[in-house]
This record gives sequence, C-alpha cells and structure tokens, in this order.
Amino acid sequence: MNRRLFVKKVLNGTIAGSLYLVWPMKSGSLEISEQIPEQIRGIKNREYDIHHQEFAFIVDITRCIGCGSCCVADKREYNVPDGNYRTWVERYVKGFSDKIYVDSPNGGLDGYQHHRTDIDEKVRDTFFVPKLCNMCKEAPCVQVCPVGATFKSPDGFVLVDEKRCVGCAYCIQACPYSVRFIHPIKKTVEKCTWCYQRVRKGLLPACVDVCPTGARKFGSMKDETSEVYNILKGPGVLTVLRKEMGTFPALYYKGARREVI
Amino acid sequence: MNLSYRLRLLLVMLSICVLVGGGLFFKKLLIPDSFGAYGPYRADAIKEAVLIPIRHRTNTSCFKCHPYEAKIHKKGRHQTISCEFCHGTYADHVTEGKKTGTLPVKKEKEITTLCLRCHNTEIKARKEAVIKTVAMPNHLKDQDVKLTHNCNQCHHVHAPLKYIIRAKQITGMMEVGS
Repeated sequence: MNRRLFVKKVLNGTIAGSLYLVWPMKSGSLEISEQIPEQIRGIKNREYDIHHQEFAFIVDITRCIGCGSCCVADKREYNVPDGNYRTWVERYVKGFSDKIYVDSPNGGLDGYQHHRTDIDEKVRDTFFVPKLCNMCKEAPCVQVCPVGATFKSPDGFVLVDEKRCVGCAYCIQACPYSVRFIHPIKKTVEKCTWCYQRVRKGLLPACVDVCPTGARKFGSMKDETSEVYNILKGPGVLTVLRKEMGTFPALYYKGARREVI
Repeated sequence: MNLSYRLRLLLVMLSICVLVGGGLFFKKLLIPDSFGAYGPYRADAIKEAVLIPIRHRTNTSCFKCHPYEAKIHKKGRHQTISCEFCHGTYADHVTEGKKTGTLPVKKEKEITTLCLRCHNTEIKARKEAVIKTVAMPNHLKDQDVKLTHNCNQCHHVHAPLKYIIRAKQITGMMEVGS
C-alpha cells in the first residue's frame, strides 16, 4: 500500500465514522406498545371487538387502608379540578348504638392521618369505602340525557361525549351514586370512565394500578384467567351499591357492610 | 286554463322537492356523522375517548431507566407501591421517550407524613394482615431513637426492611419469638 492509498483510506474511514455518529437515529424507537406492559390480557396488539367485551371492577373493602393513592392517581391522571372528585374514599365509623358516621375530608386526597375525635360513643366497626362510577347496565344517567351525550358503549362503559354535552346537569341528579360533576372550566359533565383510554391499551385503570394493597381489582370477564373473573365465579359474597334501584352495576364490593350506600 | 293548471302542478311538485331536500339537508347538517352507529349517540365519541393521552404508566416503565431503584424496590416489602404515587406521573417526567421534567423528591418530614398515610395505627380500619402499622411517637421510643427522627433514617423507603434485616444479620440480633 502506497502513501496516497493509505491517506485516502484513513480519510474515508474518518468521514464514514463521523457520519455514523451524527446521522440522526431513527426516532420513535420507543414505541408506546413496546413500553407499556400488558396488564389486561387479550387487548394489546389485537383487534378490539367492541361488541364482545365485558369488564368488571371489584373493590375489596377488607383490604382498603384509606391511603388515598387511588384519589391522588385519579386527580393527576385527569387533572381533576380542586373540589371535584371522579373517585373518592369514604370513612365509615359505626358506634355501638348502631349510629353510622361517614366522612371524606377532601375526598381522601390527603389520606386519613388521624382518627375522628368528634364521636362520643365507643366505636364498634370502622372501614374505608372507595367510591367510583358503578358502570350500571341500566344507567339512569344515560336514560335522562336529553342530547345523547351520555351513552353506554357496546363494551359496557358509560362515557360522556364532551362535544355533545350541554351541561344541563340532569344526569348529575339522576346518578344514584353521585359520581358526576360539572367541570368548572369546560362546563361539561365529567365522571369516572374506569380509565377507558388505558383499558383500550391493555393497561389497568390508574387507581387500580397504584393501589398498594390490591383493594381495587379490574379485569376482563372474557378472560377466564383474570382475577375478577375468578372472584365473581367463586363463592365469596359480593354486593353492589343500591341494588334496589335496579341499575345492575358492574362494580362489585367485597366485604361491604349493609350500611354502605 | 290548461296551462295554469300545469303550472300550479309544477309549482306544488317543486315546493315539495324543495321542502324534502331542505329537510334532508338540515337533517344531515344537524345530526353528527356517526350518530346511531351503536345507539342514540355519536359513535365517534368512543374513538375520541380512546385518544385521551395517558399520564400514569406502570412501574415497569420507570424501572427501564432506573435499574438501581428497580433492584431494591422489587425485592422489598414496598414492591406493590406505584412509583408514581410518591414521585409524580410519568407524563410530568418523560414525553415521547425524552426527559422533559424533574419530579420532586420527598424530603425529611414529608417522608414521615407520607409513610403515616398508610402505616398509622391511629386509623383502626387497617388490618394486621394487610398492613403493618405503628403508633407515633411510641415506635420511636420503643426503638430508642430520637423523637425527631424521620422514618427514612432507619427504613429504606423502597425496601423498608432492607437495613433492618442487614443489621440483624451483622449483629446476630434475635427477636422475641423468632
């Protein structure tokens, strides 16, 4: 190899090397579908058949410790304005006289740091009850909406069409579970959606994902290996809120006392 | 006579056409495209609901860039706790694979307050089988530490028993009942 050839080759190598370094790498290498794990089986990277889906939500009151993680996650996920709650945690205290004391300071957002001091009698039972949309099969809110803004999707979610909602608040009166509110800026109705956009990506609702004790469970009823399917199939006692209203909620409670409404 | 009759007939036909056409036009104008595809609502609202950006990810997403914390967190008793609960949402930290914000780190008394959200015996609705609770400041007195101590001075926040177990291994200390 002569001197000229040597210099040529070195130069070529240098240029090629520097080009390799500065050449823009293919962007979007962190694809969303790669990054997020499959928390609900059978949804991710599959065609979503909207007519053949069924989901259930189970709240296990015996495991809820009232930490308020779910409330915090919900507020952050949707930037819920102060004073409104898509989900909240109530504290029930039952005295020996069978009197029930219920409170929910700031919806449980700050957690429960102290016990109640305003109860004179001896406490018999105390527990936390997380509340959220019941996703009724016969939803009163859907029936009353005059503009068709609230609807029940074929896969069982009661959702709000922001573009159609006129903010008449009729549905807020109709909801037996008080899960709806008017967004103070948008002036349309908002409610818990069981994180529909997350479920469609195969992710659990934000409140379920952050729950440290597994008090909130969510899953597909079409997947026979899912936890909710097996709980609902099993012999455990599950109740729904306000059964007498005939709303047939898809939200079940485990360990709920009869006083819980 | 004959002509005026035809003219009138034509006029009536024309007005019917205009009325029907106008009606159809306004119907098309007022009813959204996808209305009625699934029911008496706009079916596109479902598609729009899917497009809402997600702000929380899962711990797996966090662990990808934080392997050191991941190693400790996965082994400890706090493995079921979501990173985002204490630190903030993924969306406030990363956008499209790039870091866009710094999440605040809890310090000193904030940590104790955070711990006591779950671990406070004062709240009686917390069962032993679900969570281990402590009474403050009794726990500090029992452990013979200063009352000004924060939880994280003895307990690793990601794996609360990490140092405790290690200390027991080093000193060979035994606990009553073990």
